[in-house]
Amino acid sequence: MAQLGILQRNESSAQGKYSVELKHVAKSYGDTEIYTDLHFQLLKGTFVALVGPIGSGKTTMLNMFAGLERPSSGSILVMGRDITRMSEDELGGFRASTIGLVPQVQTLIPELTVRENVELPLHFAKVDGESRQRKVDYVLEKVGIRGEAKRTVSTLSVGEKQMVSFARAMVNDPPILLLDEPTEALDPLMAEVIMGLLRGDNLTLGRTIFVTTHDRRVTELARKTLRVKKTIP
Amino acid sequence: MSRGVSLQEGQLLARSLNVSKSTHLVVATVAAAVAANAAAAIQLTGLAGQVALLSLIFVTLALGTSAISSDIYTRSSQTIANLRSIGASSRSLSSAVFFSVIGYGVAGSALGAGVGAAMGIALGGQGGAVSVLVAVVGVILASSAAAAAGVYAGVRRTWRN
Repeated sequence: MAQLGILQRNESSAQGKYSVELKHVAKSYGDTEIYTDLHFQLLKGTFVALVGPIGSGKTTMLNMFAGLERPSSGSILVMGRDITRMSEDELGGFRASTIGLVPQVQTLIPELTVRENVELPLHFAKVDGESRQRKVDYVLEKVGIRGEAKRTVSTLSVGEKQMVSFARAMVNDPPILLLDEPTEALDPLMAEVIMGLLRGDNLTLGRTIFVTTHDRRVTELARKTLRVKKTIP
Repeated sequence: MSRGVSLQEGQLLARSLNVSKSTHLVVATVAAAVAANAAAAIQLTGLAGQVALLSLIFVTLALGTSAISSDIYTRSSQTIANLRSIGASSRSLSSAVFFSVIGYGVAGSALGAGVGAAMGIALGGQGGAVSVLVAVVGVILASSAAAAAGVYAGVRRTWRN
């Protein structure tokens, strides 16, 4: 069993105060228990880093926040809504408007251009054409890849893809940003750009940021650090 | 099925799922071949034979287009997971494939039925202009309905799995 440092344990779950609330969440794969009783809340606008050994369940927790994996028991409230009770399609719509996700493994569509990739979540959120154009231009400018907008993603470097991933996560102006090892495999320059954005750029300011990382530079930016103490057997 | 899915979104999704010109060509040519044969043969047979031919068109094309749409989803399962992680709904993904494929099925059917009608006349079909027209319309309707039902069934089966 992995145990986490606890943030805001047992505080009242006043509506509107928390962006994410875990209530007695357990998660297992077959006979392997990952978490047995997670119970904590993340305040809105906080920046939390989750650290721990490889295979300790960090990505699983992040995926549960995003509704990509469901807990075995317990409930998860995101912006006051219980995502464990939502259908897949409800979750899709909710994610499109609420959660920006930068996964560890690239999930960009290689056949599409940078602009088209970044634009996709706006289509799913039914944003009109003019607003889509404006939002995409803004976010590409902020992450410094507007000049690459017409390039096909398959032609980009790892670092450039990570920036596109970041832009795609931010384009819908989500209140929650989830990042899985965002600086891993990046050269120092690209890692510094990502950290610059996390440090308090207008693009990320005021959002709840939850990041899994092994990078000490990233944990130093976080307001709180959660630590997975034991690895999964 | 199309509700809430824009043309641009559908095109982007179809490209993401690798619904390519080859896919369109396969659908159109299969529909055209089946419709051409049926439109020719239907002029050379009686009512029972005509009903049998239309049924055969429906079953054949429905099975074929169902397999094609299932295949699109099966080979794009990772892309679908990626798209769903950023908010794509099953409705938008289904619509993208449905509308991307169905147009080519209908176009192929219409073309094939026209060619088949001419072949039927050349082969000595006994009907007048009206009966040839009825045969062509029947073949187009049966094959279009089959393509639509097949694509829809393929999509549904894939989501259930």
